[in-house]
Amino acid sequence: MTSPVTASAPHPPHYTSVPDWTREPVVQPADPLGRVHTVIEVVGEDPAATAPVVAGWVAGLDGRDVRHRACPDTAAAVAALEADLVTAKVGHRVLVAGSADACLAVRAAGVRGGLADDEMAFGVVSVETRTVWCVHCSAATVAKLALDDVVACSGCERGLLVYPHVSRRTGRHLGFMVDAEEA
Amino acid sequence: MSRLSLVVAGIDDTVPDVRRLVLAPADGGELPSYTPGSHLVLDVPSGPGRERALANAYSLVGESLHPSSYEIAVLRCDPRGGAAGGSAWVHALRTGDPVTATTPRSSFAPVQPATRHLLVAAGIGITPLVSHLRFHARWGREAELLYLHREGRGAFITEIDDLTDGSASCFHDRVSLLARLRERLLDQPIGTHLYTCGPTGFMDLVVAEAQAAGWPSSRVHLEHFGLDDLDPGEPFDVTVGEQCFEIASGVSLLEAMEKQGYAVPNLCRQGVCGECRLELGPATTGVWHRDLYLSDDDKAAGDCAMACVSRALPAADGRAHLEVLL
Ligand code: FES
Repeated sequence: MTSPVTASAPHPPHYTSVPDWTREPVVQPADPLGRVHTVIEVVGEDPAATAPVVAGWVAGLDGRDVRHRACPDTAAAVAALEADLVTAKVGHRVLVAGSADACLAVRAAGVRGGLADDEMAFGVVSVETRTVWCVHCSAATVAKLALDDVVACSGCERGLLVYPHVSRRTGRHLGFMVDAEEA
Repeated sequence: MSRLSLVVAGIDDTVPDVRRLVLAPADGGELPSYTPGSHLVLDVPSGPGRERALANAYSLVGESLHPSSYEIAVLRCDPRGGAAGGSAWVHALRTGDPVTATTPRSSFAPVQPATRHLLVAAGIGITPLVSHLRFHARWGREAELLYLHREGRGAFITEIDDLTDGSASCFHDRVSLLARLRERLLDQPIGTHLYTCGPTGFMDLVVAEAQAAGWPSSRVHLEHFGLDDLDPGEPFDVTVGEQCFEIASGVSLLEAMEKQGYAVPNLCRQGVCGECRLELGPATTGVWHRDLYLSDDDKAAGDCAMACVSRALPAADGRAHLEVLL
């Protein structure tokens, strides 16, 4: 009997580091128990997509202290969140609307700033784009990618496998050279 | 299970009804280090007023790194008031008496990545938090303590004063503690974790206040003290082999199985000693563990339970069932 060995990559032990909302767009509910809510809207290329997500959250949090931060891109969103967290007290919640890629990056900033998973919620409007971090040269490659795809590293041009693991502290997928063992 | 042979090396009865006990290794030397917030389970032999042997858990209050002795503090509980007799036994111990105990077990550790710690204790519930305070003082962590105790009955007052540089707040009634707690809960920077230990009713209040102040559950940590007033729980049913029976609210699985004639090994009957562990089959709908014995991994696996404290959790259809494998 032969066993079908097709995958060249080691099989991941579990997929828990990759949130479900990076596979298909999901809008998580706002937590009504929070006292103060920072709503980060990463507008990106498609403002029509994030606006209704934000509107839904804001309507649901009527009467609470809600701080809406509309940001043109991920870098601005991270900066806005970091600024809010400087004075934030326990009781604060953070809601992020945008692409899965932007949400992962903002979540990472939240984790670095001391937020717990039950203090953040995400409204994902698209899941096509992923950021891959190359273990060989540390460059980040941003592209339309699915898990287990192969992409040329923007730094060293190696063919990187998009491994199903996301770093909580950077929000990037782990990428390493496909078939590295045989090279 | 490995047992430590100890002797009573010191007794301090200065605070009324609270006995501090120093336990040293019977053959000298060092004892295992432990995580702050850990407890020791003492073997309590049967004797006058105690029909059967018991096992009681007590928080360690002394130095946790390379200790040459262990220290616990035990509140006097009157057997005439329904106490099982472990506390009375401790209060009758004399210097030099032998004591056996498990190695320390951690169930209430300070959260490592926390940037600040808010501690709220009532009565003898101060004990695990004393070892937290030692840890925070040693590593320069930010900590704040609110402590409710009866006037003149506060344990560890001088240590607490040293460990917190006098910043701890003591209260003699619940109302003033709660008023202060309410303020302090609103003013903790992100990254703070809350720890509370005391009677269940007290901890319920602390948790309710934290929730009202917007604290998510991941930041709130409780240490239950044995079974004193464990929730009676909802009824559920059990199968053991071919037999099926119902467990009423307020009755433990252990009691029910004993009544059906099963001999389940047990000692503490309060979820700390590990004797009554049962394996569960796949028909189990879910387990409300409530013990201090099983590891988080064991609990997550859902294939075992402690008969003395665990109950069934209902499935989506409302049916609550445990399948016991003997
Ligand atoms: S009898 Fe000790 S854990 Fe159940």
